[in-house]
Amino acid sequence: MVTESPQKPGRGKAVSWLRDNRVVRSIFRRGYPDNDLDRAAVMFSNFFLHVLPARTHVHSLKPTYTWGLGVISLFLFIILLGTGSLLMFFYVPSTGRAYSDMKDLQFVVSYGVVLRNLHRWAAHAMVAVVFLHMCRVFYTASYKAPREFNWVIGVLLWGATLMMSFTGYLLPWDQLAYWAITVGSSIASYPPLVGEYIRTLMLGGDTVGQNALIRFYVMHVIVLPGIMMILMGVHFWRIRKDGGLSRPPAPPSDAARGEAAAFSPHKTYMLVELAEGKTPMVDAQAPEEEVMSWPHTVFRMLVVFVGVVAVLSAVAYFFDAPLEELANPDHPPNPAKAPWYFLGLQEIVSYSALAGGVIVPAAAIIGLMTIPYVDRDPEGQGTWFTSGQGRRITLWSVVAVIPVVLVLTWLNEHYAVRILVPGASQIWVDLLNPGTILIILFAAGSLYIWRRTGSSRMGALALYSYFLTSYLIYTLIGLYFRGANWAWIWPWQATGLH
Amino acid sequence: MTASMDEQTPRRRMLLGLGWISFLISLLGPVLANVRFLFPNVVYEGESVLKLDSLEKYTVGSITFFADKKIVLFREKDGFRACTAVCPHLRCVISPFVGAPGASPDILRARCPCHGSTFDGRGQVLGGPAPRGLDFFLVTKSPDGRVVVDTRKVVAPSEHFKL
Repeated sequence: MVTESPQKPGRGKAVSWLRDNRVVRSIFRRGYPDNDLDRAAVMFSNFFLHVLPARTHVHSLKPTYTWGLGVISLFLFIILLGTGSLLMFFYVPSTGRAYSDMKDLQFVVSYGVVLRNLHRWAAHAMVAVVFLHMCRVFYTASYKAPREFNWVIGVLLWGATLMMSFTGYLLPWDQLAYWAITVGSSIASYPPLVGEYIRTLMLGGDTVGQNALIRFYVMHVIVLPGIMMILMGVHFWRIRKDGGLSRPPAPPSDAARGEAAAFSPHKTYMLVELAEGKTPMVDAQAPEEEVMSWPHTVFRMLVVFVGVVAVLSAVAYFFDAPLEELANPDHPPNPAKAPWYFLGLQEIVSYSALAGGVIVPAAAIIGLMTIPYVDRDPEGQGTWFTSGQGRRITLWSVVAVIPVVLVLTWLNEHYAVRILVPGASQIWVDLLNPGTILIILFAAGSLYIWRRTGSSRMGALALYSYFLTSYLIYTLIGLYFRGANWAWIWPWQATGLH
Repeated sequence: MTASMDEQTPRRRMLLGLGWISFLISLLGPVLANVRFLFPNVVYEGESVLKLDSLEKYTVGSITFFADKKIVLFREKDGFRACTAVCPHLRCVISPFVGAPGASPDILRARCPCHGSTFDGRGQVLGGPAPRGLDFFLVTKSPDGRVVVDTRKVVAPSEHFKL
């Protein structure tokens, strides 16, 4: 009847049968992987596991190297797909119904409020975790050859994550949604020549209305998730093809020194019979530096997944996602604030829409994408902050930016162009504002460090740290120090309006 | 493909090039058509010619704020003026103008709640990030004696509809 499997002492017959019977074998082809041969085979023969290698380098499993951020991003995305699909059963993207559907989810639908909370908090978490993942990859110099292109894919995924959040923001059709999208789509109209076309394309008209709602909905539930899934597929595939996660170059092992010629330390994907040229080569690694992916990688990922679900469930249970009153196209809330991850941008936009809405974001995205092609020195790959010098430069870049940003903010409050010259031409406002000045200072500072140290990596570390720190400060200013009419307030003066 | 490009005859290379060019051109049409498809030809977003109350309802020196129509109507001793209530920075609705009744337009002030741009009664930017001033619209009278504002026609801020 059923193939007899060797019975282990102390284990019930029922458990063994559950693990290995004809049906299980028809699905998994093999019994439970309890020996290295089956552990390797399961990674090859299981569709969902074959993304991972059969053996994993121990460095890739160090929690203090990756902090699990990439894997957490993936799990958050999966949770968002699940909760989002369920929410779609109760949500109709119509200006007349959207808001009352949200209220129904909150008060009428069983577990509706929990699902909405999970979806909202997972989205916030994903924005944060994807950004932290990018910081990890940057500070460990993992964008360097051969991983340049995967870094570019990663920057695109970060942009797509922000767009997912932005499009999802309109769907509840409350005050926050309506005015955040009014402001956001107006920022999109600032690029010269194409700006107004981009805005019309986004809104399907000239105001945020039904056309805009259905466009944002389609982008949110079909177009952007589709793009993200394709990009994620490429992103993960490239990790494997580029030789796994980055790590410091290993000192040559006994095997690599040729003392044991029994096996080659180089593992290649062999296509020699079919294609000419070099194959993507996995870095020299000795077997003793690797562990079986089953169970070491697979179960770590499972633990991380359970942890993510546990934390999110707790947050979703105790904290409700905000929902303001119904969208009112006549009156913006005062202050009208963007979601927290765009507040830094809104602060710079409040100086000049061209600087904050076009120049700074374009400089940041182009800068991020070109970093691996400018900083080509393989120095420090796989080591946090590259070296002691890199550590110091990162620290001092962060420390130096804080007073510069604060002084510029203070100057802008008291001596902005239009305070000195009321009615001054827009060109001066676009040129002389903290956003534009900071970009020039950042470029100059990082070029100086590049020349001074002779290392492009040190210049890149400084530049990234400048942008990161200033953006964090502006986010905090937007969050806690801006009140009615976007005037400066102290946090204890806040009126409580989110 | 075993023969490299150098070994091919010029005629063959030319035909191959023509093939590629026609292929790319044939892609251009569908791409442009799909992009054009996304730009609406008709939008249903309310009226652009706004009919307000009868002329006498607005006393001299009054400033009426129409939040729903997103315009501001000034009744001055020279006649009527109307400007947009949408901030040219990022399209928030500005707050109503403040100032003593009958005050000169230079003294009037309106602020935008989103990023703090300030405007005077001539629509000029005094402070904040707004890239230009508020647009003023053509004011006329309907046959039944009501004020009509045509938001499609931008006029100089000093232009009045005289009675």
